[in-house]
Amino acid sequence: MSKEEMFKELSDAIVSCKKDAVEAAVEKARDEGIDAAEIIEKGLAAGMNEVGILFERGKLFLPHVMMAAGAMEAGVALLEADMPKEEASKKLAVIVNGTVEGDVHDIGKSIVSTMLQSSGFEVHDIGRDVPLQDFIDKIKETDANMVGMSALMTTTLSGQKEVIEMLKEQGLRDKVKVMVGGAPATQAWADKIGADCYAENASEAVAKAKELLI
Amino acid sequence: MATEYKLRMGDGKRIFMTKEQIVADLKEGMADAADLGEIPELSEDEVDKLADIVTMPSRMVGVEQGKEVPVTHDIGTIRIDGDQGNSGVGIPSSRLVGAMMHERAFGADTMELGHIDYSYKPVKPVIAQEMQTMEVCQQNMIVPLLYGAMPNMGLYYTPDGPFPNPGDLMKAFKIQEAQEAMEHAAEHLTRDTVWIMQRLMSSGADGVNFDTIGAAGDGDMFASLHAIEALRKQYPDIYIEAGMAGELLLGLHGEMEYDGTVLAGLWPHQQAPLAAKAGANVFGPVVNTNTSKSSPWNLGRAVTFIKAAVEASPIPCHVNMGMGVGGIPMFETPTIDAVSRASKAMVEIAGVDGI
Amino acid sequence: MGMPISHIMTSGMSGIRAAGDLVARMQLAKNMRIGEAKDYVAKKLDVTTDDLSDEYVMRELREDLGIGVITSVAGAPKGIAAKMNIEKLLGIDINCCEKFRGQLK
Repeated sequence: MSKEEMFKELSDAIVSCKKDAVEAAVEKARDEGIDAAEIIEKGLAAGMNEVGILFERGKLFLPHVMMAAGAMEAGVALLEADMPKEEASKKLAVIVNGTVEGDVHDIGKSIVSTMLQSSGFEVHDIGRDVPLQDFIDKIKETDANMVGMSALMTTTLSGQKEVIEMLKEQGLRDKVKVMVGGAPATQAWADKIGADCYAENASEAVAKAKELLI
Repeated sequence: MATEYKLRMGDGKRIFMTKEQIVADLKEGMADAADLGEIPELSEDEVDKLADIVTMPSRMVGVEQGKEVPVTHDIGTIRIDGDQGNSGVGIPSSRLVGAMMHERAFGADTMELGHIDYSYKPVKPVIAQEMQTMEVCQQNMIVPLLYGAMPNMGLYYTPDGPFPNPGDLMKAFKIQEAQEAMEHAAEHLTRDTVWIMQRLMSSGADGVNFDTIGAAGDGDMFASLHAIEALRKQYPDIYIEAGMAGELLLGLHGEMEYDGTVLAGLWPHQQAPLAAKAGANVFGPVVNTNTSKSSPWNLGRAVTFIKAAVEASPIPCHVNMGMGVGGIPMFETPTIDAVSRASKAMVEIAGVDGI
Repeated sequence: MGMPISHIMTSGMSGIRAAGDLVARMQLAKNMRIGEAKDYVAKKLDVTTDDLSDEYVMRELREDLGIGVITSVAGAPKGIAAKMNIEKLLGIDINCCEKFRGQLK
């Protein structure tokens, strides 16, 4: 089996959302002598990316995304022994993610958190209707590299701007990237308030976080 | 230089586009809907007509005479006395005054009574007030007056309700527990909605509007369809409107079924027959607006989805056309030029039975 | 408020200003699609389907039929009285009228 075929088998196993299939594929790839980092990046993570696309298209649903993420975690755990200790536990970056104060919408933000987490980021999901100061406190506590803010209503969108202002006041703006999202948010809005990026959906959030943080 | 037309982005911002750009965006939006929903694209004539509507020079456009349709109203009178949080204009007034203003001053074809929270669950502690207000409104009004609210199944999870939050359970990979929480919540939502409407029917309500079905995923729709079924059984003549929250029914549970059909992942043309089967009289399909795309892109997409729903539906379809849905920009005060064009397009191209 | 008013101006049947309430009622009471509902109401009113959105035709007709007019005509049926006349005209039962009748001693 070629490397490409093996990566495809790993990716398909993730899309199947079955832990057993992923573990079997990982064992097989390892037996074929493929490097652990490659198995993760070109096989498992590529599969998670496909899961994200199928989710956006309404072909897979949240429980499937979670099962796929769980299967990926199990696959990565098998490979940890093969990886240098610091690399195995190393996360890509730390992200604080939440829905701003006054807005109880939870689903989209949670999906973004899950997708970021399964792509290797350390994610601190601080929930919905989060007081703006809590974003700052959590960023400080976790020494986060990025903050993600969701708002589903035109009336709560301004919370994203306020957090950016608070980051500036606290002298944190230069070390923390800001990602905004939610139905009323746009690239124009992100530009206007000085966010680093806007993501339309969970897959885009992962791509943009990687672009800015790696 | 090619003529440029004044249009809008999905967030309402003014943009300028040439006819070629407009047609390209209309077709791109249409193709997106056709691809996702696996439904037919619009014909060339329909795309041309859409382009004509979009490029009409007048600020406001109108349907051809004789093609008018009923315009039904959701959100009750909250538009009048509500605050910014629910897009109300803050005029202190009773709900009777608000409802009569819609009937007498604005020319609404139907009206709805709703309370300030606009979810079913919080109606329970104020049911006597709702019954009294319904009676007073019915005594004074002529247009059909429904009681309306959102199923909003999220209110049955912690911290607002008795069941563990499936979002938290999912994050902890407790998928089965999350699904069970949704099943329990759905059961309670059905029970509460039926209980509330039994009382409002005893106060003379014409019927019920389920507004934003599916906002909390497939469980929310499962509960609503079962409530519709129970209400139809008990009140054969009740008027039931089933309005959706979005074009795609999110599968938060993933495995819930109604009448042998898995609910997760249904598009408007697949949702309509289920609403009819449960016993709804009118179905309200929804297509959400993408704020990062132009109004032609959004309109092309929305009209394609809605046309397929209208054709597949055994009952009348009143398309949802509030802020941020049905090709209308997502903005607190949607621009009249965009609203009017989307409205005309839905009637004349998608063939909706009402708005 | 501009949004619903814009829809009414663009596409609506003007409620009791014309005959929008009657067409909507048939859709809600009998699942009638728009064409069928308009045909049904037009036949009952003995007008054309175009007349159902014509304020000029409907203004006098509504007063004659006692089914409610948008301007407040003293002595003309309003509220439940107007709806009782709509019941007879359209051949349907309306819940609040049933409840009203049930309350009479």
